Amino acid sequence: MKQENAMSRITKIEMGILLLLIVALPWLINPYVLQILILTITYSMLGLAFAFTLRVGLPRFDIAAWWGVGAYTTALLMQKAHMSFWLTLPIGGIVAMLLGWLVFTIAIPRGMIVFLMFGMVVAMAMQQLFGSIDFFGGWGGTGTVPEPTFGSFTFIHKPELYYLGLFFLFINLLAYWALYNSKIGRAWNAIGSSLKLASSVGVNVVRYRMANVLIGNFFLAIAGSYFVAFSRVAVPDAFGFQNSIFVMMYAVVGGLFHSLLGPILGALIVTFIPEYLRVAREYEPIITAIAMILIILFIPTGILGLYENRVKRWFVRKKPHAGTGQETGVDPEVSA
Amino acid sequence: MSLELFVQLLVNGLMSGGMYALVASGFTLILGVIQVFNFAQGEFYMLGAFITYGVVSALGLPYPVAIVAALLGVAILGVLFHFAVIQRTMLHGFFHTMLVTVAFGSLVNQTSLLTFGFRNQVVPPVFSGTVTVGGLTLNPGKLLVIAGALVVMMALYYFMKTKMGTAMLAATENREVAGLQGINAKKVFWITMGVGSALCGVAGALVVPVLSASTTMGANVFTRSMLVVLVGGTGSMAGALLAAFLVGILESFAFQFVGQFSLLAIFVFVAVLMFFRPGGLLGKPLPIPGQ
Repeated sequence: MKQENAMSRITKIEMGILLLLIVALPWLINPYVLQILILTITYSMLGLAFAFTLRVGLPRFDIAAWWGVGAYTTALLMQKAHMSFWLTLPIGGIVAMLLGWLVFTIAIPRGMIVFLMFGMVVAMAMQQLFGSIDFFGGWGGTGTVPEPTFGSFTFIHKPELYYLGLFFLFINLLAYWALYNSKIGRAWNAIGSSLKLASSVGVNVVRYRMANVLIGNFFLAIAGSYFVAFSRVAVPDAFGFQNSIFVMMYAVVGGLFHSLLGPILGALIVTFIPEYLRVAREYEPIITAIAMILIILFIPTGILGLYENRVKRWFVRKKPHAGTGQETGVDPEVSA
Repeated sequence: MSLELFVQLLVNGLMSGGMYALVASGFTLILGVIQVFNFAQGEFYMLGAFITYGVVSALGLPYPVAIVAALLGVAILGVLFHFAVIQRTMLHGFFHTMLVTVAFGSLVNQTSLLTFGFRNQVVPPVFSGTVTVGGLTLNPGKLLVIAGALVVMMALYYFMKTKMGTAMLAATENREVAGLQGINAKKVFWITMGVGSALCGVAGALVVPVLSASTTMGANVFTRSMLVVLVGGTGSMAGALLAAFLVGILESFAFQFVGQFSLLAIFVFVAVLMFFRPGGLLGKPLPIPGQ
């Protein structure tokens, strides 16, 4: 039953063509674009985590910090302890969860604004930590990390890494989808749509938010491990606060109320706009910024919102809007 | 530690504290009244510095004129930005407005990077030489910055006592009820945006003779003003002032003794403080949902 709900967003034929295209992509495009696409997969995972926590009404600005924790855990364990890549994945996730628990016991009970600002500061402090401590390799990064292997197979070429990324993205999507449709997901929806109402019917807001943020941390750390798998090095500058802002852009450009497809689509658009603006050279950041302002001004519902409101109406004949329970907006209550 | 070093560090801390106080109080004002998380605040500060540099160096006008030019220039930019963009995006919610200010900040930053380049731009100091007080040599420029920041904070204090200031406070308290009392919300919003931006412009103008103007200065100050708002409590002006000087002094001493770990030291301080005083130094604790 639930499966049909999710499928109603995109018809099965569209889905099939899309899947075929995604699998065949490494042979259709040049290596440079493939490299950007691999990056985009990582960014989509970050965007998914952002959208995930946005459902409980908390905007995350500490994304880069936990992404970096995952990346550094994997890099250091593989480099210094010669551990298998697959073993470092859960370790990185658990480290990010534990550190997150330590930090968020202070921030989460204080509401959204404090969480937001605290997250910003955490991201900056974490980057500083990576750069300042010699054990982490300093500002120059960790040095080359060995490539991930599976049995005798090594993930070293671009297409293999692309498929590895798709695998991680799929796991992410599956986990988030399952969580959204579970009991805890409904509690999160309730918190996101009205904080006061949710707490008045007995939802423990702080505890549910904490659970959400910590699960998000786990997946962010996995995205960090994947980042190390293809970049083969962890550098503090890669995990700057700026990344967190970009991640927020993915969610808004894709559509804030589409927690699964929105961030992926947004990441594709926001990553590829600057790439194709390279011809504009030094004016590229300016044009990107203006484009962002215009997108937010004129397409506030995001690309997917635009699709549902305008485009879909032409193809789909009179069909009652299927409510999946995911349309519940985020209450912009500043004081909450 | 010698007394000389102690006083020097204290003056440095007070100076940066003054800057943080101006930027952070502008930030809390805008956050409280319009409910906009203004990411462009740091870039407005940078723009104030560059306007001062332009007026003093390129036009050859005296420094006080440059301060007024920076104040007005940044305030006008803020108000224009409010009317052109913020007013429209406010309807879509908190995140959209926040993101729009991020994009606008990056626009301002990149434009000034193109115009002024990566090099630091230097404005000649207002006073040359040094002041000796009780055997201690001090930089008069830094003292001027501290005095200027205090004067602006005083002016803000008296502005908040006027009818418009009271209207702003009322809008912070409860927007609907304020509207029912005949407060024109639209007018209050754009004036708040102007005042909040002007505070940053003044801060930039004050600091430029001591620290040269650079395109990265905005981001640094914005980070610290986040810490200031966390320490002082959201929405508390007096808390922001106290917290700004506290963070400034702490940073100055931490930088002397632990070097590059200074930001981490401040962060640990903020985290511990927030654990024991959830609402900040002076602010009352925000209601804790679900507990």
